[in-house]
Amino acid sequence: MTIVQQLVAGLGVPNFQVLIPEIIVLITALLVFVLELFTKSRILISTVSVVGLAVGALSILTISEGAITLYGLYIVDSFSLAFKFFLIVFTILAIVNLQPYVESKKTYYGEYYYLIIFSLLGMMIMVSSPNLVSFYIGLELMSVSTYILVGLWKKDYKSKEGAFKYLIMGGAGTAIISYAIALIYGKTGSFDFARIFHEVQDKSDIGLTVAVALLIVGLALKASAVPFHFWTPDAYEAAPTPITGFMASVSKIATYAVILRVMVEAFPLNNAIWSYGWAVLAGVSMVVGNFVALKQKNVKRMLAYSSIAHTGYILAALASPNGMGFTALIFYSLVYLFMALGGFIFLSAFEKNGNWTNDIEDFKGLAKKHPIMALYMLIYMFSMLGIPPTVGFMGKFGVFLALISSNVWWLAVVLVVTSIVSAGYYLRVVAYMYMYEPVKEGRFYLNPIEKFTVGFLAVMVLVIGIYPTVFWEISNVLTSVLIMNIGVR
Amino acid sequence: MVPYEYYVALSGLLMVLGLIGVIVRKNIIAMLISTELMLNAVNIAFVAFDMKLHDVVGQVFVFFILTIAAAEAAIGLGLIMAIYRMKKDVDVEKLTELKG
Repeated sequence: MTIVQQLVAGLGVPNFQVLIPEIIVLITALLVFVLELFTKSRILISTVSVVGLAVGALSILTISEGAITLYGLYIVDSFSLAFKFFLIVFTILAIVNLQPYVESKKTYYGEYYYLIIFSLLGMMIMVSSPNLVSFYIGLELMSVSTYILVGLWKKDYKSKEGAFKYLIMGGAGTAIISYAIALIYGKTGSFDFARIFHEVQDKSDIGLTVAVALLIVGLALKASAVPFHFWTPDAYEAAPTPITGFMASVSKIATYAVILRVMVEAFPLNNAIWSYGWAVLAGVSMVVGNFVALKQKNVKRMLAYSSIAHTGYILAALASPNGMGFTALIFYSLVYLFMALGGFIFLSAFEKNGNWTNDIEDFKGLAKKHPIMALYMLIYMFSMLGIPPTVGFMGKFGVFLALISSNVWWLAVVLVVTSIVSAGYYLRVVAYMYMYEPVKEGRFYLNPIEKFTVGFLAVMVLVIGIYPTVFWEISNVLTSVLIMNIGVR
Repeated sequence: MVPYEYYVALSGLLMVLGLIGVIVRKNIIAMLISTELMLNAVNIAFVAFDMKLHDVVGQVFVFFILTIAAAEAAIGLGLIMAIYRMKKDVDVEKLTELKG
């Protein structure tokens, strides 16, 4: 028998049926990779990636949950399937808006498409990892692809600088996460979440505390929580705007999902350590993110700081380590996808015009020239601020209730006060659009695809805000799946 | 035989050195080397814990870390080349354009 046959006889063949979405996404990436060498047709490349990803998203709906495959390195449960579905759908929305933008900026590369898809594949691996090995590989596939995406702007120095800052900070975060994994391995002798849980139980000594603290620091760096946020505004400002939207929505949501999974499934009984750690990081993120955003003149940079503040709002739910907190976290991160991607695609739609610089002055009198687009932006701003009936209100309300139910009053107060502070910059955009006369003549050219995306996401923000039951039920189910998975192997 | 704690202490020391390097060095090449130093410190820690546990799983993980370190170094050096071509400089203080 050959070595391969012996391996198969000893271990069994992994169940590839439940891996079909990942296989389709990988094939799409490789297909685009090869196609990009032979054809100059940009429409073809973006069509192939969109169709491939759409097939991948549809194939998720056919998969039954509950399988563990690849010898315990990969879990396919409702939690990972639901997140994968949303990640793929929003990646498609980012990709369709990429081509008009990069062509108008004369910075077209075919590499954008397969790097985005590889990054998506990393996130898919990450959200369905029951093991620190697949978690680490997924995280790095996502990060390394994103470093290149940020630096891909042709002949633009700022893009290179932002990418380099992101690479250095992200590399330090990678090292810290792997050191935490080494300490956990040394402590428990295993990478598997369930085995780690059985070894650790509720004992906590200094070694475990240091390991969990390092893991929190590394993951906070990837999720851009203060004080590890320095790369965020620079990388977000430097990247092409649709890529920024991709990073701010899709990558972040995958990071939140994996934070939730690691903390809940590997260290469920040590929540005294991590809930306090995340509470402090979330509180500082809310304060710093909102106050620094107040003095930003560039709206793209302002949205980057607003995304730091939202990291705070979302991770604050971890301060209440029970089902209610996890539901609030999942709900807020799912609906944050709509707001974040919508806001950045709005900027990318206008940025195609040469006289648009993302400066706050450019928003003057926008409502007179583009009433519908201004209305969409108003919805996004109100949603990020948290005014009912938009969905941002429901998200913040869920986190607030979870915090109060676990008696974390100080964080609830910080959340409310910093939300009020954030009105200062969100409402400034709205005021500039509606209360000033236009300074520049002439309307802006907008692509119909971009108009549709911005409109669709804005309408969804309103619809989910008025009728949040479906998303709230999804979050409830995902939370119960996550809690049922603890210690099961 | 040297006890495994010594190797863990060495790896912790290298890790802290790398972290300090990332924070204080002003040369972008030195910053990249510092992150690589941190990743290699982790490799020492994994091998040391394998010594303690009499296992090889940690050494398998080292291969993943080596691969990722190589990928990061390749991207980092590419970016340094691009930055140097545009600015003819490798000093962080003179390179910063993104601020605020």
